[in-house]
Amino acid sequence: MIPDLTQQTGPLTERLVREPGAFGLGQVPSRLKPDATAHLVCGFCATGCSLTAHLREGEAINLSPNGNYPVNLAMACPKGWEALTPLDALDRGTAPLLNGEPVDWAVAADTFVGRMKAIIAEHGPEAVAVLSTGQIVTEEMAFLGAFAKFGMRLRHIDSNTRQCMATAAVAYKQSFGFDAPPYSYADFEQSDVLVFVGSNPCIAHPIMWQRVMMNSRSPTIIVVDPRRTETAMAATHHFAIQPKSDLVLLYGLAHLLIQRGAVDEAFIQASTSGYEELAMFLTAFDPARVSRATGLSVERLEGFADMIGSGKCVSFWWTMGVNQGHESTRTAQAIINLALMTGNIGKPGTGANSITGQCNAMGSRLFGNATNLLGGHDPGNDAHRAKVAAVLGIDAALIDRELGLAYDQIIEGIAAGRIKALWVLATNPSHSWIDSEACNRALEKLEFLVVQDMYPTTDTARRAHLYLPAAGWGEKDGTFINAERRIGLVKKVRRAPGLALSDFNILRLLAHVWGCDEMFQAWTSPEAVFEILKQLTRGQPCDITGIEGYEMIERERGIQWPLPKSDRVELKTERRLFEDGRFYHPDGRAKFLFDEPRALPEPADDAFPFVLLTGRGSSAQWHTNTRTAKSEVLRMLYPQQCYVEVHPDDASSLRLADRARVSVASRRACVEATVVITACVQRGQVYMPMHYEEVNRLTFAAFDPHSRQPSYKACAVRIGEAKR
Amino acid sequence: MCDLGVSAGYGSGPSANLIDELLAEQRTLTAVERFSQWHDGGHASNRYSHLMPTGLPGKGEQYGFEVDLDCCTGCKACVSACHSLNGLDDDEAWRDVGLLLGGRGAEAYQQTVTTACHHCADPACLNGCPVGAYEKEADTGVVRHLDDQCIGCGYCVLKCPYDVPKYNPKLGIVRKCDMCVGRLRDGEAPACVQACPTSAISIRMVRLENLNFTAGTTMLPGAYDSSYTRPSTRYVTAKGMPSNTRPADANVMRLEHAHWPLIGMLVLTQMSVGMFAVLAALMLLGQAVAAPATAYGATALLVAGLGMSVLHLGRPLGAWRFFLGLRTSWMSREILAFSLLAGCAMLACGAVQLDRLVVPMTLLTALLGLAAVFTSAMIYVDTRRPFWEGELTHVKFFGSTLVLGLTAAAALTPGVALIGAALVARCVLIGWEQARNRQAYDDDECAWQPSARVLKLRLKWVREAREAVFMVTFVLSVLAMAGLAVVWCTMAVLIIAVIAQVLERYTFFVASMGLRMAGGYKS
Repeated sequence: MIPDLTQQTGPLTERLVREPGAFGLGQVPSRLKPDATAHLVCGFCATGCSLTAHLREGEAINLSPNGNYPVNLAMACPKGWEALTPLDALDRGTAPLLNGEPVDWAVAADTFVGRMKAIIAEHGPEAVAVLSTGQIVTEEMAFLGAFAKFGMRLRHIDSNTRQCMATAAVAYKQSFGFDAPPYSYADFEQSDVLVFVGSNPCIAHPIMWQRVMMNSRSPTIIVVDPRRTETAMAATHHFAIQPKSDLVLLYGLAHLLIQRGAVDEAFIQASTSGYEELAMFLTAFDPARVSRATGLSVERLEGFADMIGSGKCVSFWWTMGVNQGHESTRTAQAIINLALMTGNIGKPGTGANSITGQCNAMGSRLFGNATNLLGGHDPGNDAHRAKVAAVLGIDAALIDRELGLAYDQIIEGIAAGRIKALWVLATNPSHSWIDSEACNRALEKLEFLVVQDMYPTTDTARRAHLYLPAAGWGEKDGTFINAERRIGLVKKVRRAPGLALSDFNILRLLAHVWGCDEMFQAWTSPEAVFEILKQLTRGQPCDITGIEGYEMIERERGIQWPLPKSDRVELKTERRLFEDGRFYHPDGRAKFLFDEPRALPEPADDAFPFVLLTGRGSSAQWHTNTRTAKSEVLRMLYPQQCYVEVHPDDASSLRLADRARVSVASRRACVEATVVITACVQRGQVYMPMHYEEVNRLTFAAFDPHSRQPSYKACAVRIGEAKR
Repeated sequence: MCDLGVSAGYGSGPSANLIDELLAEQRTLTAVERFSQWHDGGHASNRYSHLMPTGLPGKGEQYGFEVDLDCCTGCKACVSACHSLNGLDDDEAWRDVGLLLGGRGAEAYQQTVTTACHHCADPACLNGCPVGAYEKEADTGVVRHLDDQCIGCGYCVLKCPYDVPKYNPKLGIVRKCDMCVGRLRDGEAPACVQACPTSAISIRMVRLENLNFTAGTTMLPGAYDSSYTRPSTRYVTAKGMPSNTRPADANVMRLEHAHWPLIGMLVLTQMSVGMFAVLAALMLLGQAVAAPATAYGATALLVAGLGMSVLHLGRPLGAWRFFLGLRTSWMSREILAFSLLAGCAMLACGAVQLDRLVVPMTLLTALLGLAAVFTSAMIYVDTRRPFWEGELTHVKFFGSTLVLGLTAAAALTPGVALIGAALVARCVLIGWEQARNRQAYDDDECAWQPSARVLKLRLKWVREAREAVFMVTFVLSVLAMAGLAVVWCTMAVLIIAVIAQVLERYTFFVASMGLRMAGGYKS
């Protein structure tokens, strides 16, 4: 038989044939056609996009964004599209590892309990600490917090959310009386003026930026950032301030607004306290001083204030540029102050809005049992302790009145030898903690390091004495709470590899071996725990007793807190807080809080003449790249080697060629990076993305005194020739 | 209550039942039975209706991508979506996102650029394909790749000035963007259009007359002259671009694929042609020649070279269709030329064997061979890579032919004149090449300066190796001319000269700096 001259079809052509996928998916590759679908909230950032898993016999074979969810409106960033890929990585943990050797769960659990109890017996419960995460479901966080504090009787539990939103949590709590981001994403679409401070949503939260682009009012978009970021490019106005001069800028703007009478006296009178003191304090921030500190001209400062003053609906948004600073809590509160004094809160298109980092940072804030008592309660409050004890069915005496150490104090305690054992879950301090070489020197001192993670290959897990293999996102059930307070579902659409268990199941096992069966007898499934969490929130600002259960969350396409039982009838899809002008302090008022700005902890000097800024590299990378590095598609979207952005003038005075390898040195370490010459960084500043392990070896360990969040955003470095 | 006694003893010991129960629970998938009943909504294709034309293109029209740069803010979701919704291999995506940098001070400029196939009006990939594995759809204008027709020669990869077709080594073929034309015909948006959170990508109707670009027009800084293939993609921005805008990877010294089978094929076939040519010339000049050794040897080299070229194909069994591309493809012409040459060379061997018609057959083979070398050179010249421009490529290819032909002749019929001529030829060729490289390195106007930079800064070892090799052949040639171990020396010179040409051809490929759209920080 003579073959056709032109082969239009055949086995290779068939590999790429597409056909209608049903389930509202449109065309899909024929070989990946699903027989069912299930929606689940993404496990990367706090945007909380819903993703549709394409299932075959119950198992996810492909994935696309959910077209019917109020958060993401059929869109996802590249990480979301690739969310299933990290589950298939060849280096997934498939068995517990004791000193690197595979063991079964019985040995692992016995070892965990035996070693922990022995260390507690010898050194007391303060010798053991836990570092948790914003990456697991709320029910697991609550289980971990309850088991660690009430079961194991530990005092020190903190989480990697300390690195991303501790500042926002503390700022809200102090200003509003409760940690309550007030907005819904609809506010992006309803503003006339949007002010982004230290925030680059174009690549850090692209699906939130989608909502900005859907704003049909031709809004004024203002970006405050030392770099000319993607978002700065897309904005209508960019204020490229000097690093960490944001607090002075915000005070200066407040001062100008008061001078212009562009404040909402009625709202200030009715709903706030501390305004006179603030106004007095602000008189010191005259435009000339602010201009010197920020590098912006007085005219530009006045123009900035005018845009805020004349805007009808002004919303303020901040991210890590604010949260990760040495005076971050007051900076966040300076933003809150601007919203309060101009009455831009509680109305559509307004608010002082923290864009949170991790998928379940908000769950951790309410239910981590670390920086407060389960459900946002105050452990120092007798009534709160009694309430929590009653819901959990435990003795109130098991609940400490005081909170334990913060992350940095835990690392310091390890370095000082006071803390002997550490249990790390789904986070990677060896890479992510500030001044990471010092952190790693401390970790070396531990008698017992337990790491519970999807991968035994993270920088931290490789140091572990005991590694516990965890199921990942998509391999378990539970809920996440997103940045707009929306509770969404995560579902089990994949089988975990080998012996890997969900964090929930690992906790059930460890609690059983520890001897806590009775305490946790009701904690049988994530949904059973969700019921407990609901009861804990009764009467709190985050009351969710009106949520019937997982089915209702599914039906309503996610539910924002609060939803008290009585509110069930008027459930709206998008709700904001403070529409009645009442806040959560006992007097119902929001507080104006402020402090004198402080100098950069480590400014540039003759020896280290550049300020190193750090942050997100691309939308295809997530934090320490543990998961995003597993996807070949994502790896195609960012450089594999660490790089440093340098201004053209600095490059020519240092005679650096574009793409040359150089050394970047701080007082703590010296690393290598590839030079990228771009005018998008200012002279005297360089930028490196946090996803490369090298970068935090350089950073300087300074902390905000209120939130104890590390100041990742500025330290002093010098650039030299690469060693070779 | 928990065991709160902080004894050093072990816990109560896990019950095997609990562990088994937990592992079994972990393996049970429940999402479908619990939740799938709520989802049956139709595809929200009207969400994208403003991003697509209604109906098929009319006469004189085709579909084209339009990218609103003012909306493209660098999320790169289009790349992932293309990968997932088209079921591509793990490391495969038909979109890429590059970056432009420029400006100064408050006007500093960065702009991400999403790019896929431009579905050109005059596609270089289609014109270059030897077997007709591309077709431009008559109604939509979409340039489709026929995967089962493809022989995996990869010539379209070299031909496309935008680096669009990608070779898939696992499948042995090239694959590329088809604008999701099946989706478009169903009224659905292509994957990238569906996935863009800011609606930066759309499909527009393009009038073909608007694709008659004047020379020098480019889609974006760093992109190749649009008058060549007439790309249908349009990049729009209301903000303008600073004049110093350049691709973020403008200074990256990329090493391209070496294509070892092609290196082998080019060196061996050119040596073969050179041997026939020198043989014919010597015969015409009435010089003494080793005709059988030269003809048999040259034919063997030719067959070996052509055999190596087959190794370059991902799916060689379809190569018989090469004639389909004769009208536009130098690859087709090369295959034809070398097929004829192989036949002719064998006839020449027969002539030598029978000692009949030796001179005419040798001369015919030599002339046909030179024509075949010309088609080889044109394959590369036709890609428009600056480093492969006409003069450079022809001098290199015919230079190799001459040098190897003379050096082989000097080894087979050693004599002071031939050894000297071969030495001078090698000296002139390498001298010319190095002079051109130096000149290009210093000349900012030179189109192939990036290749000259790669040669100087990343392939320094090759230059040094070739200089060393040349010196060795120089010394050996002088010894041979002095009559010392003539056979050994001339044979050694021949082997070393072949190695030198392999090194030259390695740099020819590796430093060729393919044409492409702006890349990002990666690469």
